[in-house]
Amino acid sequence: MIDGNEILSQLKKLRDVTTSKDIRQLTYAMFPGTHCPLMGAAMAVRGIKDAVLLVVGTDECAYYTKHMTLYSDDFGGLGGRCVSAVLDTRDVTFGCKAKLDSAVAELVAEYKPRAVFVVTTCVVEVIGDDTDSMADAYTEQYGIPFLSVHTEHFKCENHLPGLERTITACFDLMQQCPPAGTVNLLGQRMGKFETTELSRILRDNGVKIGMQLPCGCTVDEIVTAASAKVNIVVNAIALPLAQKMREKFGTPYVFFDKYTDPDRILKTYETLFTALEMELPAEIKELYRKAKDAVAKAKPELQGVSYIYGNTPFDCLEFNQFMVKLGMVPQIIQTVSVEPERDQEYLTDILANADPYVTKTANIAPLQYVYDVLHPSLYLGHEYAPRLRKKGIAVVRSDAASGMLGFEITEFISRELVRASQEAKGYQKEVLA
Amino acid sequence: MSLTRFLPTPSDRMGILWSLLAIEDCVILEYGPAGTTHFSMGLFGELGESQQNRLFTTHMSEDDVVMGDVSRLEKALVEIDRNFAPKVIFVVASSVAAVIGTDIKGVCSYMQEKVKARLIAFEQGGFRGDYSVGLLEAYKLLVQELPVEHPETKPDTVNLIGFSMGSYRALSDRWELEELLKRGFGLKIGACLCGETSIHAVEQMGGAAINLVLREEGLPAAQILEKRFGTPFFAGSPYGYQGTLDWLQKIGEMLGRPCNPELEAELRERINEAAQYKMYWMMLKEDCPKAALTGEYHTITGIAEFLGELGVPAENKICLHTLRGISNPDPSVRACASEKERLDILRGLHRQLILADDPSMSVCPSDNVFLRISMPVVRGGQVAKHLPLMGIRGADFLLETLEEYLQMLK
Repeated sequence: MIDGNEILSQLKKLRDVTTSKDIRQLTYAMFPGTHCPLMGAAMAVRGIKDAVLLVVGTDECAYYTKHMTLYSDDFGGLGGRCVSAVLDTRDVTFGCKAKLDSAVAELVAEYKPRAVFVVTTCVVEVIGDDTDSMADAYTEQYGIPFLSVHTEHFKCENHLPGLERTITACFDLMQQCPPAGTVNLLGQRMGKFETTELSRILRDNGVKIGMQLPCGCTVDEIVTAASAKVNIVVNAIALPLAQKMREKFGTPYVFFDKYTDPDRILKTYETLFTALEMELPAEIKELYRKAKDAVAKAKPELQGVSYIYGNTPFDCLEFNQFMVKLGMVPQIIQTVSVEPERDQEYLTDILANADPYVTKTANIAPLQYVYDVLHPSLYLGHEYAPRLRKKGIAVVRSDAASGMLGFEITEFISRELVRASQEAKGYQKEVLA
Repeated sequence: MSLTRFLPTPSDRMGILWSLLAIEDCVILEYGPAGTTHFSMGLFGELGESQQNRLFTTHMSEDDVVMGDVSRLEKALVEIDRNFAPKVIFVVASSVAAVIGTDIKGVCSYMQEKVKARLIAFEQGGFRGDYSVGLLEAYKLLVQELPVEHPETKPDTVNLIGFSMGSYRALSDRWELEELLKRGFGLKIGACLCGETSIHAVEQMGGAAINLVLREEGLPAAQILEKRFGTPFFAGSPYGYQGTLDWLQKIGEMLGRPCNPELEAELRERINEAAQYKMYWMMLKEDCPKAALTGEYHTITGIAEFLGELGVPAENKICLHTLRGISNPDPSVRACASEKERLDILRGLHRQLILADDPSMSVCPSDNVFLRISMPVVRGGQVAKHLPLMGIRGADFLLETLEEYLQMLK
């Protein structure tokens, strides 16, 4: 039996975290563990409609990646555009070039791709094959772009670097273009941009959306992405690409993350419309007022509500700051990154009211024993709701926010936090009974 | 021909993992990057295997890879032993651990004195062949390491060896075999390598009356048990009515007791009824019945034999895994060198009975009649545990599709 108190005693509190390296795992044996960057790369290529994902790695890596794409319309299912070059002992010993040469020849002949992402996995990186050079050679040989993406998991924490590296690799496709006055959307991982408040506001004000990477674009749209007036970056995974585009093409970018704090959202809208050289639409102020009202309404309901933060579509510390300002009490924050200097803006507010434990994500097996020590009311993230119910804990369901950007997030999450906290009260009565 | 368009054949490591997950009272610890473990959850869930408090990963950092630091493996072993007190901890190498040459056995050896659980290492890492090789290794290592020297003698118990949760309708087949053994001889299943079994059952394997080997990859394990405990074994799977009757009779001979006459009579009646199919084929004016099978060796050979008895020759028998574990493979069974070779064969089939896996069926022309008999499952899923391919019910089920095929032919 795991001792929840003992696990907690080995964790650092947020106040004591001086660098991300201070963040420990709950246990050395983890389950389920984080997603790998290979999955992130697959998520990114999924949205590039006429590109093919070529996984170079073990049969296991290739199997799981293909398995993930089987039910994806975007990938085309079983016969879709996720394929692999599976390495055996011989390839590991003598290098994967011969296998890859042959696989690429078949791929080009059968799929006639517009671009190919050559995604390497752990083993290829361990043996040190130069897939960058191979990709360059294939580009020259076949006259279509081959982009090499490295996804070794032993060098990073989770799947996000896979997304980041894949969309950053797209930079090599981009060419100088005459301005088209559009805005590009960079970094939307899940959900459809078209359904968001931000999309509607841009549309209503005559702003045309250009390339949407990685949530739905073609290779040609990537090639002409530099024609945009502004890049809107909706997740940090796209910041390296946006910075490269700014350096080479002079395209400015605005970081419009999935913020929850209405004041921060307002500032971001103001920055965006300044970049677009447009007046801030009057509607923004009205949406801001409604978001503030939603927060004011939720605040009394959420005083003292304790929670464990797992994983949400939002920025971890920004959202925790929002919840702490609502009067909620974080007990554990699961994250892979806290850098006090970088995150000062958020940490000041959180630490003024609470000092939660900090641990890495994706290790829910030992968490079961921590619940019995901390007795939180809410869990934010993916967990087994029926199991938590027995412990008087309600799950905050925030996945729907994947398709949101702007003040709609504030309203949505304020409502959801209140709903879940009321649900938790009911569960706690069940437990007592 | 190096491109894999569909799902590659699972690796030895995957076969080992799904075998070990089917054993209660143990924990599996993977030494490697965490993403592989997380990624595997979907597949193992589809196979009906619970991973909660059963499967863990250490993760691996660049330092571990470069410096060969195994301290996180050591700490994880101590932690699991203390927190879950399993009887056995299986330590399974990842592909990265295998490539950098981590001495997993060595770590288990010196860590053994620091933990109560028995530590057993699997160092394959995914490079020694496909899953059938992994199954062979898993069965073999389990019977080498776990059965106790002086088990309780159980004359009414048989062990199953060569069972795999990665086989299509695995749990249904187990249910059917359980029924047949119970009805035929009043026998119970002791250990089942590997499906719905426990460390305790594996420890007591030496006390069983006989070992039934369902697929050839289980033979080395059965030979080890024969040598250690003198337990006789019989290799074969009961496909079709005649095949099931032969299987039961062979078990009866080995046990020195007759099979339940009612069960035998039921099977003989089914054999007689099914013999009529040969007459139906003679009434066809244009078509000649033909079958093509893809899947696991024992399944396709077993079902092909059944179809042959019914007058439907299997023109193509394509094994989806290596034949390395098969001592004298049927020369009419081919293991294609590449996916493309297999797809090219399947694309050319017309008006045949196709018994195969979903990806193979997806490329066949639509003028065939189809039945899934093999993993992987892509369309729908497996829920029922009472729809076997083996035994009487399995043969009944196959005949339903044969009826459909008959209706299509002219």
